[in-house]
Amino acid sequence: MKVFIGAENIISPLGNSAEENFLAICEGKTGIRAISNANFKQDETLYLAKFKEGFESSKILDNCFMSLAVKPTVLYSEKTKVIISSTKGYIGEGVENALINVVKRFVVGKPFKNQPIIISNACISGVLGIAKAGEMIRANLYENVIVIGLDFLSDFVTYGFESLFALSKQKIKPFDENRTGINLGEGCSVIVLSKNENIFKNKPLEYVSGSSSNDANHISGPSRTGEGLYRTVKKTLELGNVKPEEIGYISAHGTGTHFNDTMEAIAFNRLGLENVKLNSLKGYYGHTLGAAGLIEIAIAMQQLKSQIIVKSLGFEANEKDEKINITTKTEPAEFTTLLKTASGFGGGNASVIIRK
Amino acid sequence: MSFITTYCHIRNNTYSINGRVQVFDENKKGFSGTIVDIYRHLELKYPKFHKMDLLAKTAFIGSELLIQNQDFSTYEDDEIAQLFANSESSEYSDFKFQESIQNGNPSPSQFVYTLPNILMGEIALKNKWYGENLFLVLPKFNAKEIKEQIELLLLNTSKAVLCGWVDVTKKEINAFFFVVENYTNKGEKLTEENLLTLYNN
Repeated sequence: MKVFIGAENIISPLGNSAEENFLAICEGKTGIRAISNANFKQDETLYLAKFKEGFESSKILDNCFMSLAVKPTVLYSEKTKVIISSTKGYIGEGVENALINVVKRFVVGKPFKNQPIIISNACISGVLGIAKAGEMIRANLYENVIVIGLDFLSDFVTYGFESLFALSKQKIKPFDENRTGINLGEGCSVIVLSKNENIFKNKPLEYVSGSSSNDANHISGPSRTGEGLYRTVKKTLELGNVKPEEIGYISAHGTGTHFNDTMEAIAFNRLGLENVKLNSLKGYYGHTLGAAGLIEIAIAMQQLKSQIIVKSLGFEANEKDEKINITTKTEPAEFTTLLKTASGFGGGNASVIIRK
Repeated sequence: MSFITTYCHIRNNTYSINGRVQVFDENKKGFSGTIVDIYRHLELKYPKFHKMDLLAKTAFIGSELLIQNQDFSTYEDDEIAQLFANSESSEYSDFKFQESIQNGNPSPSQFVYTLPNILMGEIALKNKWYGENLFLVLPKFNAKEIKEQIELLLLNTSKAVLCGWVDVTKKEINAFFFVVENYTNKGEKLTEENLLTLYNN
């Protein structure tokens, strides 16, 4: 069964639609900015991709959902399921029920026939949400699945990553040999998968396959051999009956931490994908955690539709070992099939393949 | 057809396997102590256990109870999936980390446990399982949603799923663990009704 994927939407510091976001990226803009006294001791500048003050988290989600480019009847159809991918939900507003409140507030006034579910698998939540949506449609459980990714910045999360010494004191440099850690970001993205091509207002792409794999190595550090990432990509290729040489673009995870980016480079070399054009979008968005997979898949889809691959912002020079083909320019590219990957705390790794 | 082949419960100060309440030496007071008492009673020797938060400890003990009662050796290392769910996500550790901020010293070891899927990472690490992991957050125990996701896992590359509903809050532990397998004829059929009955057992 062919599964279609489309109607991608993004609300982020870079813009209020996927098109606005993609245009900003093509112009080389970034949502990351210097915020003074943002650390725990309130004496250092942090680089964060942060909305302007005064927004409401649940309004951003509502706007992103309500402006989807699909037939309006799809949103509340009995054949439609909603998945929300998030790590910390509304934690900035209080610890109690921080995640479940996302659903509780979202359903108010919306006549969903099926209860929305939350997937919370750290930084792979978004990519995993898309993979699960594809499986649900193929298994004939639902005809349409709307996947939402969201996470918002909070002192809780910022101080947490600071306590792990994971935050860079500069703008993020994913995959660069001189990278120094992550920048955090926030945003919301929604993508629709369906067995019906005609629910989409614009021509959708094809969702091919997806999977996940734990790397059984360490709860907060990536495997040195890239085992979990290697396994999920291998599985996703097999499930989709796609040969490695068909992949024309990889939207990698690329957080900008030393260990993560090396792990990814090792895995892509093991997979024979080292020459495929690859970028990390975190130079534009920072790490948006549970939203990252959705935002980055939406931008990957924009790249596939427009046949442009954007530069991996912040990258200058490859590491000496385990070289991969990281983009240094935003330029036209002919490709039909893309691979999106994510890796995260708890040993999670996930991947999906999408094609024209 | 898939079958629920074994199950167990941990509820505050008691635990049971396949519905039979187990007797064990209680030393510590309170349900966080009970988890450690069960660990001792099972004679587990896994130093990483002591670093885990209460949510991960509870899930880890649940997984060990299932593993002791179930032969997983016939499966490849990536054929056993994990599906966990609850209503509170990692709220127990979220409060602890929030307290550490308020006390002027944000704790990295507590922050790591403010993600609910970490518990599956612990179980994967202990057993060297490379399979699929899924953590759902649902308003309450929902047999329909859980059954759907188990069936999806079994349709793809997984042949067994280790599942758990783990509510761990400051006030209580309410945890239900079970194994679902294909290609077997023992246990209870995987139906919403059976899941709900065993959950309430």
